Amino acid sequence: AGAASTKPALNAFSTKTEASQENVEQGEWIASVCQGCTAWCAVQVYRIDGRATKVRGNPNAKANHGHSCVRSHIGLQQVYDPDRVKQPMKRTNPNKGRDEDPEFVPISWEEAMDTIAEKIIELRENNETHKFSVWRGRYTSNNGILYGNLPKIIGSPNNISHSSICAESEKFGRYYTERYWGYADYDHEKALYEIFWGGDPIATNRQVPHTASIWGELSDRATLACVDPRFSTTAAKSDEWMPVIPGEDGAIASAIAHVILTEGLWYKPFVGDFTDGQNRFVEGEDVDEDDFEEIQTHGLVKWWNLELKDKTPEWAAERSGIEADQIYRVARGFANAAPKAISFSSPGSSMTIRGGYTAMTQAALNGLVGSADNEGGVISNGISVPNNGFPDPDDYIDEIAANGLEQERIDWGGRLELPALKDSASGGVKVTNTVADAVLAEDPYNLKVVLSYWTNFNFSNQGTDRWDRALAKIPFMVHMTVNPAEQTHFADIVLPVPHSQFERQSPVAGSNGNLHRHLHLQNRVIESPFDIRVDETEIPWMLGEALEKKGFSNLIDYFRNEFRDPETGDAPTNAAEFDEIATKHFTHPVWDPTFEKDGDQIDGWEEYKRLGTWNTNRYEFRQKWDGNWGTETGQFEFYSETLKAALQDHADKHNVSIDDVMEATFNTVRGDGAFVPHYEPAKRVGDESEYPLIFMEHRSKLNREARSANTSWYQEFKDIDLGDEAWDDVAKLNPKDAAELGIENGDMVRLVTPEGQIEVKAKLWEGTRPGVVAKCYGQGHWAYGHIASLDRRRQIARGGNNNIILAPVHEALSGSGARHGGQTRVRVEKV
Amino acid sequence: MAKKNYAMTIDLQACIGCAGCAVTCKNENNTVDGINWMHYTKKETGEFPHVRYDFMPTLCNHCDNAPCIKACPVTAMYKDEDGLTLHDADRCIGCKACMTACPYGVISYNKENPHQYWNENNAWSELSATPKEVQDHAGAPIPYHNPERDYNYESIRYRGIVEKCQFCDHRLARDEQPYCVDRCPSEAMYVGDLNDPDDKIHELLKYSHEGLKEELGTKPKVFYLRKFSK
Repeated sequence: AGAASTKPALNAFSTKTEASQENVEQGEWIASVCQGCTAWCAVQVYRIDGRATKVRGNPNAKANHGHSCVRSHIGLQQVYDPDRVKQPMKRTNPNKGRDEDPEFVPISWEEAMDTIAEKIIELRENNETHKFSVWRGRYTSNNGILYGNLPKIIGSPNNISHSSICAESEKFGRYYTERYWGYADYDHEKALYEIFWGGDPIATNRQVPHTASIWGELSDRATLACVDPRFSTTAAKSDEWMPVIPGEDGAIASAIAHVILTEGLWYKPFVGDFTDGQNRFVEGEDVDEDDFEEIQTHGLVKWWNLELKDKTPEWAAERSGIEADQIYRVARGFANAAPKAISFSSPGSSMTIRGGYTAMTQAALNGLVGSADNEGGVISNGISVPNNGFPDPDDYIDEIAANGLEQERIDWGGRLELPALKDSASGGVKVTNTVADAVLAEDPYNLKVVLSYWTNFNFSNQGTDRWDRALAKIPFMVHMTVNPAEQTHFADIVLPVPHSQFERQSPVAGSNGNLHRHLHLQNRVIESPFDIRVDETEIPWMLGEALEKKGFSNLIDYFRNEFRDPETGDAPTNAAEFDEIATKHFTHPVWDPTFEKDGDQIDGWEEYKRLGTWNTNRYEFRQKWDGNWGTETGQFEFYSETLKAALQDHADKHNVSIDDVMEATFNTVRGDGAFVPHYEPAKRVGDESEYPLIFMEHRSKLNREARSANTSWYQEFKDIDLGDEAWDDVAKLNPKDAAELGIENGDMVRLVTPEGQIEVKAKLWEGTRPGVVAKCYGQGHWAYGHIASLDRRRQIARGGNNNIILAPVHEALSGSGARHGGQTRVRVEKV
Repeated sequence: MAKKNYAMTIDLQACIGCAGCAVTCKNENNTVDGINWMHYTKKETGEFPHVRYDFMPTLCNHCDNAPCIKACPVTAMYKDEDGLTLHDADRCIGCKACMTACPYGVISYNKENPHQYWNENNAWSELSATPKEVQDHAGAPIPYHNPERDYNYESIRYRGIVEKCQFCDHRLARDEQPYCVDRCPSEAMYVGDLNDPDDKIHELLKYSHEGLKEELGTKPKVFYLRKFSK
């Protein structure tokens, strides 16, 4: 027998004993939103006695219809994490660096705001408001206040989002074929074939709950092919696993297109046909454009002549490491399922140094099989969700601010080597990771005052050492954060902010899914145990008041004069009222029944708060067909006149040729080939002789954007990421490579790249391609809390952060950070 | 009312191996780190690139011929009238005979009083709260404590006794599915009544299925349908 049982005689907390003996539900489900990934699912939180106790999908939301994934539950351990920042703090050690103890001490919210206001007034007095910057991590639709308009009124062009390290390269592919910069929706319920390019939609983005809920049926009906260098859950549950050499996905995509054309398998009702019906797509032979008549598309023959005619599966096999037989089989199966065949892009296959063109080829495949904007296919737009936006701040931008707004941006987006062509605009994307370089080089200048929220840029950007040094160099940085993060270590003022799932009331325009779009609402489900203020509304309001005291009232005037409660007409008089009014204002069209809209009818604000979501009607297909693609030609573009125009604008801005732009962005293509989807060989940092293996990273099913590592539920079940271990962070090597290196399972190894090194445990795993080291992202925190980090004082992390060893490179055409595709070579040393 | 005969199906083809069941089980039943009434087995076979992965959620099988019940000297393990194999915490003497007898390894022993972390008065950093402060604010032994588990079982067990999956008997008693079943994002799980000819469990059992270690004669009541990998 074990120790004697020690049942407490009286449990202080068993006030509910009588109720529970009756076995009735003791709580109520309150609507909110999970922002653990960018699916942004509507959820409900079960509240008992003011406590958040459970989470489930919101049954009112048509994109996830009552389902939520495993990540949503982990939020419970995050919101009640004692390690969180509990009150405002200020730094008392003026020296900054990894080795410096910040010596934080508590301060009041008033002191915090007064200090920040003082720093901003200083910038204004010195006509250098452009050295003010707002950094945005995870956000809600209320970001238009703190991130959108506040910097304008202060006078800075430098509102820097994390978006470029998220997924911009994937968007590039769809934009320059069918002019849509956003996440796609997929008609999984009707599809008969799906190719997942690095996609793992039953584990991580996109639309995990919906995809999961129909997976059993989908895998009965459809053939599934997964292209991924590591064995993911999706790979395990697919018919075909194509363990591509990292970054070489584009070779397979071009070869699939080649097979589809040479074998006459393209979807003729969409693409068209040769005028005489004879297929002239013969390997190696040019085709006369006049012989082919297109229907929805533009430039098929140019694409063939410029790119596809030589791209056989045998050619692709040499580059991709995937046997030609498998490429033929997948190409034929995919095309024979047309038009119900989905080419599913994901950041994993295109956030590589030359990945924009890979994403473009993946998107073009949906044109070849006619699944673009078609049943069983891919929706690259959707029904728009009405909102009021936020009032125009122009009247509150004074001369000092206007001058600041004219200054060059800090992030280098739009420079020759960083076209960042969102929405066809040179510099359309704010590039996140270059900010560290800009600060270090003071090119174009150093930032002096930074307000940063829900960010952790020296953890989440590749090349973390640069960020540590850049953060140390910024004279004044305010970190608004939930947990004391790596970035917090360099902060001058630390402000505790809500956990978005439980502690704030904010609108969230979630990603489209299940053929619906929506506008969800987070609710303040609990009273926080911590002294928090809402980052995007309450803190700007308080800052506005503090600035007013120092003689600059434009910000608070904007809030007081321009925001009105849509129901009462009342102006806000304090931070809490402003928070509520901003949300009501933004969401007004969806809950006011007098607004005409294509979706749910909701009877007023209180009803909207209760429902927690407004859904559009179901998307009707083929809205872009017949000339509505929005491209330069109005067609689905295989030869992208849209990209050609954007590149020409960018080249003209710098007085160079488009070939020069290709060279500056590390692309190998020259001439007209730049305007068609095409193969670019993977580019890697590091010399093969010194760094013989390729490093690749992947996502975790449990990552809430690397914020969940301080929860025990994350660590306890970390081994559900294939090949991973619970409570650990392993580098996964193929046993053949390990044998050559003399490494055994469980050995500590050092992963060395030109960028840096980390020490982690080795895992011998057949799911890694020989020649590749695979490792999950999310662990390696030296801050954050007692579970994520092993020793705060000595800054010892649990595991190693991949971003220490990943090079800070870009997919420059889209402005995307390039963390995938084996962008860095690695040497593995036994410790 | 006719007696029920509860059994569970887990459709491995639908299962996505996410541990959602394991996490939500902890959530519903207030289990401490290291004690998991719902867990999983993983099997990887083959050599690159011909690799296969098989994942199985695992829990108490609520065996019709339960070795734990036979082994228990104090009838703390017992069969209820609806076919559930249940544990009575009040009777348990913590002798672990059930753990030895169970061929599935799904019974856990409390070496310590669980969740003592929340009584700690040390903050992780000068920015942080103490666990005790958060506990006091919440007014519950665990801030996200589920008191509904209290029905027919201790909501949090204690040092010196064992504990295991009760098939969420408190939820079944009010005609709800176990929490893991309700929260499974892939709708892979179901608990039904084998005695009811109209229960959809009979439809589900038309798929190829098996129980674990059936050869031992335990008559497990958790049935695994189809295969995880194609």
